[in-house]
Amino acid sequence: MHRLIVCNPEKCLGCNICEFVCSAVKEECLDSSHSRIHVVNFEPIGSVALPCVFCKKPACVTACPRKALYQNEKAVIQVDEKKCNGCGWCIRACEFGAITMHPLKKTVMVCDLCDGEPECVEACPFEGALTWVTRKEVAPKFRRGIIINFFQEPIGKSKRSG
Amino acid sequence: MFGYMGKILRVNLTNEKVNEEQLNEDIARKFIGGRGLGAKILFDELKLSIDPLGPENKLVIATGVVTGIPFPGNSCHSVMAKSPLTGIWGEAHVKGFFGPELKHAGYDAITIEGKAKAPVYLWIHNGEAEIKDAGHLRGRLTRETQKLIRKDVKDETAQVGCIGPAGEKLVRTANVMFGFNHFAGRTGMGAVMGSKNLKAIAVRGTSKVRYSHEGKLADFLLARLNEKEALKGPYWPSGLYETGSIADLSYWQETGRLPTMNFRKCLFPQYEVISGETLAESGNVVRHNTCPYCYVACNRAVEIRYPYEVDPEYATPEYESVAALSSLCMVDNLAAVMKAIELCNKYGIDTISTGVTIAFAMECYQNGLITMKDSEGLDLTWGNHKSLVQLVEKIARREGIGDLLAEGVKRASEKIGGGAEEFAMHVKGLELPMHEVRGMKGHGLAYATSNRGACHLQVETDDMFEEYLCPEIGIDEKAFPRKCRDKLYAGQEKVKLNKIIGDLFALFDSLVVCKWTVYPCGGTKITTLNEIIAAATGWNVTIDELMKTGERIFNLCRAFNVREGMTRKDDTLPKRFTEPLPEGPYKGEAFPEKVLEKMLDYYYELRGWSKETGIPTRKKLEELELRYVADELKGFGILLT
Repeated sequence: MHRLIVCNPEKCLGCNICEFVCSAVKEECLDSSHSRIHVVNFEPIGSVALPCVFCKKPACVTACPRKALYQNEKAVIQVDEKKCNGCGWCIRACEFGAITMHPLKKTVMVCDLCDGEPECVEACPFEGALTWVTRKEVAPKFRRGIIINFFQEPIGKSKRSG
Repeated sequence: MFGYMGKILRVNLTNEKVNEEQLNEDIARKFIGGRGLGAKILFDELKLSIDPLGPENKLVIATGVVTGIPFPGNSCHSVMAKSPLTGIWGEAHVKGFFGPELKHAGYDAITIEGKAKAPVYLWIHNGEAEIKDAGHLRGRLTRETQKLIRKDVKDETAQVGCIGPAGEKLVRTANVMFGFNHFAGRTGMGAVMGSKNLKAIAVRGTSKVRYSHEGKLADFLLARLNEKEALKGPYWPSGLYETGSIADLSYWQETGRLPTMNFRKCLFPQYEVISGETLAESGNVVRHNTCPYCYVACNRAVEIRYPYEVDPEYATPEYESVAALSSLCMVDNLAAVMKAIELCNKYGIDTISTGVTIAFAMECYQNGLITMKDSEGLDLTWGNHKSLVQLVEKIARREGIGDLLAEGVKRASEKIGGGAEEFAMHVKGLELPMHEVRGMKGHGLAYATSNRGACHLQVETDDMFEEYLCPEIGIDEKAFPRKCRDKLYAGQEKVKLNKIIGDLFALFDSLVVCKWTVYPCGGTKITTLNEIIAAATGWNVTIDELMKTGERIFNLCRAFNVREGMTRKDDTLPKRFTEPLPEGPYKGEAFPEKVLEKMLDYYYELRGWSKETGIPTRKKLEELELRYVADELKGFGILLT
């Protein structure tokens, strides 16, 4: 079963560490624009980190006019950097904003799950904020979280928006 | 230049001119940034005895060399000006997203001078700066202002530093709110902004800081993340995430040093009502907030619905805030304390100063110096939580008696007179923070000699150092035996320790790093910091050079104060500390003037300052490459031996 990186916005505090770890591991620099995971802060509601969601029918692959993108057996999107000319169709096609342009190479880059051991999940300091789970585990996990929030926690502890 | 953006933004609000200035590498290495850079700019450019609330005063917002390097604790910046509260050197250090964003916007520092005709705000984005009209923001609360500005500039990720209505009304204890949870609280920096008609500063940028060895910096981050526990130092408060720094409150109570009843007592019987554990278990903590690159998340937001409605967007309690507004005023109502903190943050006033001011008012009321008529029907008996909440609002709006108290305890006590001066707990005009110095003698010296007035963040020698040694900077068992590091020890070793830590903290405030994460509080050692600076800038720095830099910055701030007329006679403690503690484990302990004088004698000798006047000697200043400072002081007729 393919696994994916899921961020729980209830736990994510927006420290941006995953971005810098990604750029450090992948590009040996400390620049969030080189990162394959992106933190979106909606102050004061919360924040969430968004990596590739590994779609069953990836729109980015379909959109690429040069066939530079393809999905491997682990559902990871692979970029053929020789074919990619940085036209950006895939970036527009992705509904999650997960695929981005490399600021220097001018080819696109996307999460490759670090060959099965995602470093961002490892590095995330807040327990349960970034998790690496199978698609089947995701839904029950979130459902459970919602139920716990509704019934087990005192009212004051629930999110304000809820 | 590596590690810096290499530019300082100069804004003159009077003629609406915006200039850029290059940051000289020599100055950067000598003063690093943050406090150091601010001290250099303010000492060089401010004229003598100007009005802190006049257009001649300059507000400096400076980042340091490590600001923006992804590593826990590296997200701070400093705000500096001549303080309207104390009339001397004023500074406040802030964490959060603003500092890194300012650097990414292209500037190491901003200086603001002059006065705008109507309210304005400053919008800095990717190397461009605009002065924009802020008429519609007049009188807006802090967070409202930030949201409106984000809408105005059409950028939801812009970081905003702003003042609230209190800053606009020139409340002398007003603070500046940066981002959503961080404050430049002390020494009234908000009033300086208000006096310039500057409502806010918004920054946004995507430029990259160039580092000498970026790969090495990445390795430091990964190594720290692999060993997360290493961030905890020997003095790390237990449960900084779970209970926040309020965890300290129980510790101070247990050791009998919790300032209570305006420092008259040191135990608060109802402390459990307001302790960090109670708050954590109450279920009122709705969210944790964090700074960039840091996994501590010590900041928590509190929501309470009854009996006071507390908005979690503003109520972010901390030890100092809670102690100042609860035990110091004898208030034992958690909701009221949180409400008071919320109001302070909403209107933009410093929680510590406000707490001390209210405690002062309560003591005056008890002694008949403030009557029911003066307070317009407010019953200011100790522990009256309704009055506490109302008084905070009155101070922030300068209404009724609040107008008097908004001047700070020093000015208020002088105006009230009739012995009220004895109830005013301040050093050089800055209200005392929540540490009882009779039970920690090193702190007494720190309060008396600190450059911004009574401050617990410029030197911290007791408790923290009882179990801790730092051989890298000369604090070892041989030079400082265990008995000399005791809280109650007031001998020469303690003074020596004070000097070393003073220099070290001056360095920290210039780098600028969060003191929770660096030794002795946190686990980031000075050696690691040295390596980070070297990797970022490519300089071949040593710890000795860094310590010398710290000493230079400390002396420069002192020279600033000396120029404003501060001498040895101002390095004092409130009279109350000469009375013995009435209760607790340290019952009977006092801080007699004799002890302080003896400590001061040795302190000046160690620092290389004149023993009679407390003024740095020419020899010392020249040794620190501050010859021009010595010449300047001589030019003002200040005697230099």
